[in-house]
Amino acid sequence: MSDVPHPSKSIDLRVLRYRPAFDQEPVFVSYRVAYSDDMSVLQALQSIKDTQDGSLSFRWSCRMAVCGSCGMMINGAPKLACNTFVRDLGPNAVTIEPLQNFPIERDLVVTVGDFVRKIESIYPYIIPKVPKPVEDGAYLQTPAQMAAYESFSDCINCMLCYAACPQFGANPDFIGPGAMAMLQRYNGDSRDGGRQLRLDQIHGEDGVWSCTAVGICSDVCPKQVDPANAVNQNKTNSALDFFLHALRPGERS
Amino acid sequence: MSERRPFHRPQPRDWWARPPYLAYTLRELSGVAVALYAAILLAGLVCLWRGPEAFGVYRRVLASDWSLLVHLGLLAGVLWHVVTWFQILPKTMPKLILRGQPVPPRQVTTIALLLALVCSTGLLVVVIAIGALS
Repeated sequence: MSDVPHPSKSIDLRVLRYRPAFDQEPVFVSYRVAYSDDMSVLQALQSIKDTQDGSLSFRWSCRMAVCGSCGMMINGAPKLACNTFVRDLGPNAVTIEPLQNFPIERDLVVTVGDFVRKIESIYPYIIPKVPKPVEDGAYLQTPAQMAAYESFSDCINCMLCYAACPQFGANPDFIGPGAMAMLQRYNGDSRDGGRQLRLDQIHGEDGVWSCTAVGICSDVCPKQVDPANAVNQNKTNSALDFFLHALRPGERS
Repeated sequence: MSERRPFHRPQPRDWWARPPYLAYTLRELSGVAVALYAAILLAGLVCLWRGPEAFGVYRRVLASDWSLLVHLGLLAGVLWHVVTWFQILPKTMPKLILRGQPVPPRQVTTIALLLALVCSTGLLVVVIAIGALS
């Protein structure tokens, strides 16, 4: 049958491994893997785990670029292992490392706690402008109102944008592109009334102002979310808020 | 007992010199060309304010071979800055929604570049016309 993959070629995968119980620091280990044209890097790692070294650790779940679990550095660039194909990477040895700019827990698994805290800090849910009981029906939205935030709602929290951001690499407290995309998803929503709460979280060096518009975060995004746009339009919002806050009723400088 | 011992891997010091970040570094560096050219124009204004003799010296300096060479280099830097600046423009402005649809970033870049081209050409024509008439 033609649709059954037949591994006919092989390639070397250099995987950066770190076993905290044994290794002082991460070391590269090479594995030779047989692959077919439809094999993803994730499948190649699974084949290593199944047949060569069961202790190799990496995160994965959906295998279809939806869950955002399998982000890693593939030949130096942040990518999802599930939608990167081995056939596009050869013929030289392929380098696989954990996501840049994050502490390594074990092998290709990185610490995500700080990222989750950043997402939580920007109130990642709709705070209704006017509370409305269910019996009053749904909140209505025009296609234009939806288009204003829709692309930002495609974020899958894969953290590739953080791995691509040199300013996050220099300042781990920088709120970063992913959390800002999430912020813009809610601040741009016509049903939401939590704009001020969120803007208060992003002033200063650790807020939007660490960003120098490098822009690679948007280039590596597997869902075309354009987080660089979310960060940069909020520099304007943050600056306006700074100058206008004294004019708001009930506000003291 | 937990075996957790997260390993912190610093980012490479020369990240700015490696692709794809090199394009960003060149974009930011080309801003220096814009600043230098502005300084040269400012020097011209200062010379004009100091009198005909000073402005004559400024014009002679501008006409020298090395000045033309510097200006060629600066022109290249400024052009690079213009193109890359408009490439990053869609990332720095609010989303444009026309008839319920977001305007594609490439279209924003193209329109802004064309506008800059028309304005620059118009300004050049005005300057040449004033020069010819005076």
